[in-house]
Amino acid sequence: MNRRRFLLAGTSLGVGFTAGCTLPVIPKRPAPGPEAAVGWIEARGGGFVLHLPRVEMGQDISTALRQVACEELEVPASAVEVRAHTTDTIAPVAATVGSASVADYAVPLARACATLREALAAGRTAGSLGAADRPIETLRLLRRDARHVGRSPASEAMKAIVTGGALYAGDVRRPGTLYGRVLRAPASPELDSGPRTWDPEAAARTRGFVALVEHPHLRIGRAHGLGLVARTPGALDACERALAVDWHVAGGFDEGALDAATDIDARLARGALAETVAGEGAALDAEGPAAGRGWDVNLRVDVPIAAHGAIEPRSAVAEVDAAGRLHVWAGTQDAFYVRDVLTRRLDLDARDVEVHAMRVGGGFGGKAVCTVELEAALLARAARAPVKVQWTRTQELRHGYHRPASSHRVRASVEGGALGELWHAFAGGNVLLTNAVLPGWLQVATSVIGDRGVSRGAVPPYRAARRRVEFDVVRLPVLSGPWRGLGAGPNAFAIESAIDECARVAGVDPVRFRIDAAESPRLRRVVERAAADAGWPDRSTPDAATGAAADGAAADPGTRRGRGVACGVYKGDSFAAVVASVAVAADGSLALLSLHCAHDCGRVINPDRVRAQCEGNLVWGIGMVLTDGLAITDGAVVATDRAPSPRLSAVPPLHVSLVEDVGTAPAGAGETAIVAAAGAIANAIRDATGVRVARLPVDPRAALALPARAS
Amino acid sequence: MELSVDGRARRIDPDWQDESLLSVLREHLGLVGTRLGCGAGLCGACTVLVDGRPVRSCTAAVASVAGAAVETIEGLADAAGGLHPVQRAWLAEAVPQCGYCQSGQIVSAVALLRRTPRPTAAEVDAAMDGNLCRCGTQHRIRAAVARAAGAAAGDAGGTHP
Repeated sequence: MNRRRFLLAGTSLGVGFTAGCTLPVIPKRPAPGPEAAVGWIEARGGGFVLHLPRVEMGQDISTALRQVACEELEVPASAVEVRAHTTDTIAPVAATVGSASVADYAVPLARACATLREALAAGRTAGSLGAADRPIETLRLLRRDARHVGRSPASEAMKAIVTGGALYAGDVRRPGTLYGRVLRAPASPELDSGPRTWDPEAAARTRGFVALVEHPHLRIGRAHGLGLVARTPGALDACERALAVDWHVAGGFDEGALDAATDIDARLARGALAETVAGEGAALDAEGPAAGRGWDVNLRVDVPIAAHGAIEPRSAVAEVDAAGRLHVWAGTQDAFYVRDVLTRRLDLDARDVEVHAMRVGGGFGGKAVCTVELEAALLARAARAPVKVQWTRTQELRHGYHRPASSHRVRASVEGGALGELWHAFAGGNVLLTNAVLPGWLQVATSVIGDRGVSRGAVPPYRAARRRVEFDVVRLPVLSGPWRGLGAGPNAFAIESAIDECARVAGVDPVRFRIDAAESPRLRRVVERAAADAGWPDRSTPDAATGAAADGAAADPGTRRGRGVACGVYKGDSFAAVVASVAVAADGSLALLSLHCAHDCGRVINPDRVRAQCEGNLVWGIGMVLTDGLAITDGAVVATDRAPSPRLSAVPPLHVSLVEDVGTAPAGAGETAIVAAAGAIANAIRDATGVRVARLPVDPRAALALPARAS
Repeated sequence: MELSVDGRARRIDPDWQDESLLSVLREHLGLVGTRLGCGAGLCGACTVLVDGRPVRSCTAAVASVAGAAVETIEGLADAAGGLHPVQRAWLAEAVPQCGYCQSGQIVSAVALLRRTPRPTAAEVDAAMDGNLCRCGTQHRIRAAVARAAGAAAGDAGGTHP
């Protein structure tokens, strides 16, 4: 037998996997304190090195944290060199998720820098320091006269981006690199599957073929893979065709299985849901707030699975160096978790592995577990050469994890123009305790402690006489996991849709209704600001910058205009409100005319990058309403040619206002506006057409067209 | 086989002649500025110019462009490193977030503005709709295209507010 063809032959697939080889559960790593932050900043050769404790994925955290460091060290930006981290260069940090990069890292970094500044001033030049937990009000980053914080300096990375610099994992070039791919069945990884027969001889005859690799850890969920290594990317395709793998797949399901699994009404009919996040013990009556009086609002909202849609596919390069050390360059949101998985799976010590955290070409929660990194490592070890693996679009859709489907029922009563009872019940797939990592038995065990990702943003930010929020977590037959904002996007969408209906029932302007009901003065303030910016409630004046769409719409007598508002709170400390303006033509086609967003995340380190994050969330909201969803047939996500994310022509002028209290500690901005964007658009559609969007995404031409006139 | 890339004649090794243009650029020639997105011609991240026309290099066989002039993101700046007006506009509007799609966006914009120096909003939409951006930079892409076309109000300079 040609040794290169069966480097790990003899391991059978489908049976006999080592017991107890589950992946480590993603460890809960606490927010860093000043001690951890000391390792991020270093005085060296007259300047400073900032070892970036976060992954760069578009938030421009390198610039923001450098601003914080410069402020506290009292040095110009040129004195601080920012370096991406590897698992060797800093102590373990949590995944770059949850809009926590400024919220959890800016203040510890500022404290560490203050310590360093004082030590240098005292004449110390060598050694390491301990950092004191000094009071936040002594930090310069909260000062009104700050010189670095609160400005929008040029970003170093941006020049590299516009000139096509090498930045991402796939851009890493090692001498003698081979190309790898792990083939899996065309089925959900929640179904047992694996290769039954294949044609190794035909593959071996294919130009560029290097090796087939069989290994029990070439597995995602229950999908066992067959590894392939070739000399060029194109040879991978040719070898895959020549192999002609026949797959076994156990069982199947269709799209209806997800609907049935999450169907909130079926679950409520069986009684209370498993988890309660508000109104403990306060059971409400499904029939209504009082005998004989039904609910004023009783709204069902369903949200399908959806892809992250990052433009960069999952990518990694792996190489074993001359000393036997494994290096993996990865586009991951969590280099330390990747290292933990690699050491566990490959039976290595942490010292034997270095994971290099490369710039991520779009994360959105989709690159938070270890997949392609382990594939690259296994193939590189087997082939004894550097191997690059980049998932194909089909793999991304079929074998990646997605936003879980969820189903919501929001019931409300309106009493005296205000909220009486408010009840949000929902069921959704796993978010944090994802089946992309956990085997079923362990997921069942952890459901006892709940999956707080599912319920993020589930409690309405409004006063009501009685509130109840409860949910079920469902293991779906497809892989689900973290997606931008976790549960906050879908939960807020359901809530804000219902609140809009409450305002209608109350006969109160929806902006006024929210201002009156909002619990937080900061929430009230952003609603007021967004409404003022948008000229609420006037909908007659076309947006000055709208251009062709508005002109065209105005010319069409069947065009209906509408405006909608929505707002919300993200993780308790950042606030957003959005006003959307739409025009719906007689044939149902929808034009977004403008989105106005007001945003409050406390102290703003870099206003332009916060605006950029707000803009990103507004477009994300457009996607939620209009594009994001995946079809399922024959037990698999359909890997179609459709590219489900908003195109340029779908994006209207975006207006962002930052509301800021300089003295309030900075909070996150990466996901906040997600709580308002989709709801505002749906509420504008409702205002224009009378149609309440009850299932995402909406197909405007199917749902919003005027009835054909009899002729 | 020879290929003209950014004005330089490049010899293509026989082992790479059956590959896509994208694989040859990135993996064989080391021009990694052109990115691999969907690999199916749907997202635009891999856009390059072939004889001035925007082409999805992930689905173009390298053999099909032999003898043609290929321009990539790496070739836009002038010999002295001075950025192309479109690249300058991209920096002035601070367009990129993660940045992964931006090479393709910029190359598509260059193609548009060479063909149509003063595009209407509809022409910009038509030319740029095939370039997806999941971070949500479309609003700034519009502004940067307008700026590069010299149509932006207050084009005298300055950075994004």
